[in-house]
Amino acid sequence: MESGLILIVDDETSIRRALHTTLCKLGFKTVEAARGEEALSLVRANTFDAVLLDINMPGMSGIETCRSIRVISPRIPILMLTVRDSEDDKVEALDAGADDYITKPFQLRELTARIRAAMRWAKPANSQSDEPMLVLQVGDIELDPVRRTVKKANRLVHLTPKEFELTRHLMTYAGRPVPHSRLLTAVWGPEYGKELEYLRTFMHQLRRKLEDDPANPQYLLTDAHVGYRFVDEL
Amino acid sequence: MTSRLTMAIPLTEQRSWIRLLEQCGIGCAVIAALTFICYKLQFPIATVGFIYLLAIVVASLVYGIWQAILISLVALSCLNFFFIPPKWSFAVADERDWIALVSFQVCALVVSRLSSREQKMARDANYQRIQMKKLYELSRGILLFDLHQPPGLQLVHLIRRIFLADDVAIFDANLARLDHEGHWSTEEQQIAKTAYLADTNEDDREIYTTQRVIRSGSTAIGAIAIRGEIDPLIANSIASLAAIALERHRSYEKESRAESAQQAEQLRVAVLDSLAHAFKTPLTAICTASSGLLEMGTLDETGLELAELIDEESIALNQLCTRLLQTAKLETSSVTLRTEPVVMSNLVKDVVSGLSTALEGHPIELAIEEQDTPLQADRELLKMILTQYLDNAAKYSAPETPIGIAVRESKSELLLSVCNRGSVIQMQDRERVFERFYRGAEARKHVPGTGVGLSIVKKAVEAHRGHVWVISTEEEGTTFFLSMPKLQAGGC
Repeated sequence: MESGLILIVDDETSIRRALHTTLCKLGFKTVEAARGEEALSLVRANTFDAVLLDINMPGMSGIETCRSIRVISPRIPILMLTVRDSEDDKVEALDAGADDYITKPFQLRELTARIRAAMRWAKPANSQSDEPMLVLQVGDIELDPVRRTVKKANRLVHLTPKEFELTRHLMTYAGRPVPHSRLLTAVWGPEYGKELEYLRTFMHQLRRKLEDDPANPQYLLTDAHVGYRFVDEL
Repeated sequence: MTSRLTMAIPLTEQRSWIRLLEQCGIGCAVIAALTFICYKLQFPIATVGFIYLLAIVVASLVYGIWQAILISLVALSCLNFFFIPPKWSFAVADERDWIALVSFQVCALVVSRLSSREQKMARDANYQRIQMKKLYELSRGILLFDLHQPPGLQLVHLIRRIFLADDVAIFDANLARLDHEGHWSTEEQQIAKTAYLADTNEDDREIYTTQRVIRSGSTAIGAIAIRGEIDPLIANSIASLAAIALERHRSYEKESRAESAQQAEQLRVAVLDSLAHAFKTPLTAICTASSGLLEMGTLDETGLELAELIDEESIALNQLCTRLLQTAKLETSSVTLRTEPVVMSNLVKDVVSGLSTALEGHPIELAIEEQDTPLQADRELLKMILTQYLDNAAKYSAPETPIGIAVRESKSELLLSVCNRGSVIQMQDRERVFERFYRGAEARKHVPGTGVGLSIVKKAVEAHRGHVWVISTEEEGTTFFLSMPKLQAGGC
């Protein structure tokens, strides 16, 4: 049984109703808002474990709402619901502070998995970004930031400094999509942001070193046209 | 049409003769008056000669050379008769006086020629200036044309006003219309159209009518006919300016047509887009509800079966929407590729599993030869292409017959084919099945469809700089191919 208080922000009654019914049945508690402004006042008054936020709303847009929620509550996990397949929207949402996005229509299992992942990040004990010296582990891959080593199934994998930084950044945000530009800025430096071919080359190398089948990656996933994502659970 | 004008020409000619005679008469009278004064005052011959010369110069400046020559002859006679001894006779006593007379006449001729030429040049320059001014006015007027109105009507009005012509008619071949202003009858206006059809330029002085074919480059795009006093050179310039006006209007029309076509296209895409999105909202609710039902685990066997059915079908409907959106986007003129490394075997498996309901009953035979270097292509477009091919293969073949998918990659090229055992596509249809809205005769009768799918495939493949074709025989079945070069890495 799941638990947690979730804020659903969507202008469509049918979607709010479907989400409310199913999520409640699964054990979550939900609060609904039809507009961005309404969501903001709810966020101010309550402590939510996650926010499901529609990107396309009349009035205050989803992106705008996301930005404002981030100001009020920097740690709350925000999942954007997008109907457009437009990649620009997704990147914009991530840049506005969203933790993840999910494209409508979605399967409930996928949604709950994303909600669970998002709630895990928010728990201070697990928040790896606050304690950068903690060993990061996903599946059989282990990264030690102090010794600067990466092990796969307890065997040391040799990574170049850039490959290491890339892996560390992705593993720090495991489960969340990291946009191309953010990866480039974090690993190469603030003057980078558009050199997608660097990323592609390095990801290709990393997959050869970390994946069992580089053509069919299990850990290092591509979020088409948006960025890359390190899985947080196998 | 010419009766009024043919009368008019002798009239003007008569008038000019009368004017000439008048001017000569006045000149002779002046010479007579001067002779009388000089005779009375007993002026010496030299003085008289100069006075006459002065009069001749004035005559040549004011009237022209022929009048001046006539007057100079009269003056010569007077000089001889009244002043050169013996007086009151044309005889010349002293032979040296002959020299005086001859030099007087030569002087008179030269002076009158020079001064009249000067005068003529000044007049010509003035005429040219006025004509240039008129042409300038015309060109400026053309720039101010209302581009929403046909240019012919505006042109005839402008030309008639500026060049004070009696009639102006313009035939615009592009719009196939004849515009006229003036007194010509409907029949007479046809002269412009005739000039265009016969492709002739003509200056008919008798009926004072000028015809010019209007050309843009070397192509005739119309003709103009003007009745009035128009210099042939000026008529050429008018025709060139008219060509610019017609051409300008034509390109404006073309541009605005292209623009409105583009707007219609954009509108269509926007409508499709919003429709597809409008479908997605209820679909999301249905998907959430059905997957929720399955997740609860509280259903009995029948309930589970039904929930699964709802779930599967809503996913199928969603795929349909996504494809519709893709189609709409592809149909706008520019396709932007979002290339990324694509592993063909994975992609084929993805597509086949996604189409499982559509491919029901057709065994799939896979033959994939891959290279190490991944293909650079737009994954979504490739999926869409393969989906379309497979969809068609399933639709146009008998149930239970196998569908073959073959992928062959070389270092530089990808070759993909989808083969089915269906009805043969007739030779004449093979090129055309890739055209938008085209459907073969057999297909129209037996299988529902829109005739858009393959045209989109072609567009998507061409965006990858590849091409598509089909082979169809009784023995081998029907095979749709696509080949595309492996693109260089670029974009993402």
